[in-house]
Amino acid sequence: MKIAISTTINGRQIDAAVNGHQTLLEFLRDDLSLKGSVEGCGVGVCGSCTVLIDGRPVSSCLMLASNAAGKQVTTIEGLAQDGELDRVQKAFLKHQAFQCGYCTPGMIMAVTGLLAHNAHPSEAEARDYLSGNLCRCGTYVEVLAAVKELAEA
Amino acid sequence: MTFVGTDVIMVGGLAKVTGAVNYAPDLVLPRMLYAKALRSSYAHAKLLRVDASKAEKFPGVVALVTGADIDGLNAYFGPVVDDQPVVAVERVRHVGEVVALIAAESREIAEEALDLISVEYDELPAVFDLMEAIKPDAPVLHAQRNETNAGVHREEFNFQLGGNICSVFRVEDGDVTRGFAEADEIFENTYTLPPVQHGHIEPHAATAYWEPGGKLVIHSATQNPSGVQEQLAQIFRLPENQVRVIVPPVGGGYGGKTHARLEPALALLARKARRPVQWVLTRDEVFLTGRRYGALIKIKTGVKLDGRIVAREVESFYEIGAYALNGPVNAKTGCYVSSGPYNVPNRRLSTYSVYTNLPPTGPFRGVGVSHVCWAYESEMDDIARKLRIDPLELRLSHLVKEGDVFVTGEKLVSVGITDCLRRAADAIGWKGQIEQGEQAAPSNGRSVVRGKGLAVTIKSTTTPTTSSASVRLNADGSAVLLTSSVEMGQGAHTSLAQIVADELGLPFEKVTTSFPDTDVTPYDKSTSSSRTTFHMGQAAQKAAHEIRTQLLDVAAKQLEASPDDLELTDGAVSVRGMPNKRMSITEIFKARFGATVGSMFGGHCFKSAGGLDPKTGKGKAAAFWFFSACGAEVEVDVETGKVRVLNAVTAVDAGKAIHPKQCGLQNEGSLLTGLGSALFEEMVYDNGQPINSNFLEYLLPSLQDHPQAFRSLLVETPHPDGPHGAKGVGEAALPPVAPAIGNAIANALGGVRVRDLPVKPAKIVAALSAATEKG
Repeated sequence: MKIAISTTINGRQIDAAVNGHQTLLEFLRDDLSLKGSVEGCGVGVCGSCTVLIDGRPVSSCLMLASNAAGKQVTTIEGLAQDGELDRVQKAFLKHQAFQCGYCTPGMIMAVTGLLAHNAHPSEAEARDYLSGNLCRCGTYVEVLAAVKELAEA
Repeated sequence: MTFVGTDVIMVGGLAKVTGAVNYAPDLVLPRMLYAKALRSSYAHAKLLRVDASKAEKFPGVVALVTGADIDGLNAYFGPVVDDQPVVAVERVRHVGEVVALIAAESREIAEEALDLISVEYDELPAVFDLMEAIKPDAPVLHAQRNETNAGVHREEFNFQLGGNICSVFRVEDGDVTRGFAEADEIFENTYTLPPVQHGHIEPHAATAYWEPGGKLVIHSATQNPSGVQEQLAQIFRLPENQVRVIVPPVGGGYGGKTHARLEPALALLARKARRPVQWVLTRDEVFLTGRRYGALIKIKTGVKLDGRIVAREVESFYEIGAYALNGPVNAKTGCYVSSGPYNVPNRRLSTYSVYTNLPPTGPFRGVGVSHVCWAYESEMDDIARKLRIDPLELRLSHLVKEGDVFVTGEKLVSVGITDCLRRAADAIGWKGQIEQGEQAAPSNGRSVVRGKGLAVTIKSTTTPTTSSASVRLNADGSAVLLTSSVEMGQGAHTSLAQIVADELGLPFEKVTTSFPDTDVTPYDKSTSSSRTTFHMGQAAQKAAHEIRTQLLDVAAKQLEASPDDLELTDGAVSVRGMPNKRMSITEIFKARFGATVGSMFGGHCFKSAGGLDPKTGKGKAAAFWFFSACGAEVEVDVETGKVRVLNAVTAVDAGKAIHPKQCGLQNEGSLLTGLGSALFEEMVYDNGQPINSNFLEYLLPSLQDHPQAFRSLLVETPHPDGPHGAKGVGEAALPPVAPAIGNAIANALGGVRVRDLPVKPAKIVAALSAATEKG
């Protein structure tokens, strides 16, 4: 059975019919071709599917697409404006805070959520907030360096 | 301007920070179907009957394959021995083995249809424990296949026919019996390591289709395009040019994607479906698909009272799961380094790779070496403590040096191990700890103690192997490197482009690197064994050099100068010291081809020399050797057993760091993987059934686990054969991490040691109370 929803994704209103069991991640990837959010674990632990819902980071693999109705959804594709990277993306690039890049969109969204919630996080606060975003390549020092620069800006 | 040795911006970074990378699970093809697998719930059973008739008729199901569909093909494959069926035939040998694969219009339909397949099994006795598996009365996994050596592709180790021991490798030096007789003290212990996950966040994923003429095309997140091509060609009896393997950027590999995994069954399914089919594993399926070997290592060391090691005997058993995959190769890789990077006059080293009814294994960052390093480096600290010698000094006095002859009989070249160890020790403030660490006994009501530990390693790169590359220069002065090296985050496409840019005197931005596509890019052994910079780097450099020679030859005639007097920089050739006598690349093209179009090509196939005699274990094991050291400082709560790594330092001999930042990132990744396996990572099975196959119950190190302080140090001992002197880096830092942490814990606990990884809190508490009871 399809459910009609109206949601805002990266600033654009989207009216769609979604399946009751469809996750937000599946909706973004399969229906909207927004492939930047990826599935790593499927159980809300690794953080690679992180998107912002009304500014707060959420694992989109655990949220039903139907629950996005009436919400503001921001994905990695929504950060750069007119081809200009946003400040978190720039900081990640500058500090080379990625290796294979698979966890990177989720990590960037989590950092965006962190800064929205706490503009000047300490290192301990950043470690705590971002501990739900796993990077097996092990690029944590560089992520912390990027956050530090943003926190001090 | 040159680029080698500088931290240019990593190629592909912009796509990574914008979510624009097209990874294997992101691919969408017209009319694409989705695959789901029916997997065995038995660890060992005869397959009596697979009835898929209902599933085949389920609306939305397009095709379904079982073992019956392999007729007429080579049903078994494997990189070393053909022991793995494309889809289970007659028998299943581990929980999770693929019994049927369905292609449907959606993932949901495929999933639903799985329930309609009925399978009749006849359960067989199974064996899960490594040491049980080698007993004469153990159930045998590959009884029939083991009757002959047919299907064994490689001869560099000794295959065993009959029981569950798949391969044996041995090497000896001196007279170990006499050595032990001369020793004043003998140390003898057993160490174990459980299976652990590679943990690549991107699961295995591939998409396959067949062209109407019978050519197979497969997009796969593999580390090994040429190897997958070879295996598919063999299974489907096709010439290699009828198998096209395309590899997008890979979302992490660490060895877990080195061999054909999904590709054979998926290709079979796509052939039947006559449409593109995509197969992306779920996380619990990844746990059933690959992992690091479990191991048991028996180590015995004879020492003189002055600290001289006079004899060492090591017997290592690698649990390789139900199929060989690369187990025999990796057990061999562990064998000859199992007495460490040390000069020991008398030694006898042996490794065994052993089948069990556990899910398959495969190469894992630090292949085979992390296992033996855990044993020999823990042992070094025990010896030092007992003899009251500084563990640093004990190591330094035995470390191999430039030109020393190793146990394999070869002379060691580019040996920066002493520098690595000294620098790691300095960086953690090593002060000759023998007794407990700086905050020795718990005091003031605190239950926390601190300790420091060191460890070193030596590892070979797989040898001999081949890498080939070609470079194409365009008339506008831009160039493309065609290579089958996979970009999986290690930065191969950046460092290879740096090498080519310098050879052609081009700005870095003018050089791009292709992604692997076996229709276009030449053969490469694989992106594994941290071999790319050394092997592909040489191939790329020499391919670019061919073009350089062509450019200089044309320019020499035009400029009426000797090629020896010319230099090639910033996209132009000029006469040295005469900047006005110059020709741009475009002008050279015009002079040569009469127009500003065309291409100049260069190509090179590089093969490393070497190999070991399987009978003696002697020869040349490595085109180059990795050397690294780790230093760690930990805090241990003696009441709860909780460990925190406060400070960690890795020091790796890179030969020459082509891109120092990327080298540092590789070391950081190695550190974290080593830290996880040291303290908490462990795959757990109950009668062959994985019971923690998800990231809720199997934890990967997070930012909370990352040491408060971390440093990556690079030593540069140029290798005469490496491009600009470079060696590999990727996995070099990993093996010593767990023993350095283990040694720091033992140091904090006054010598109380846990010998079975991971060193979990409960084991520490148990070891402490056992030590107290002993008094």
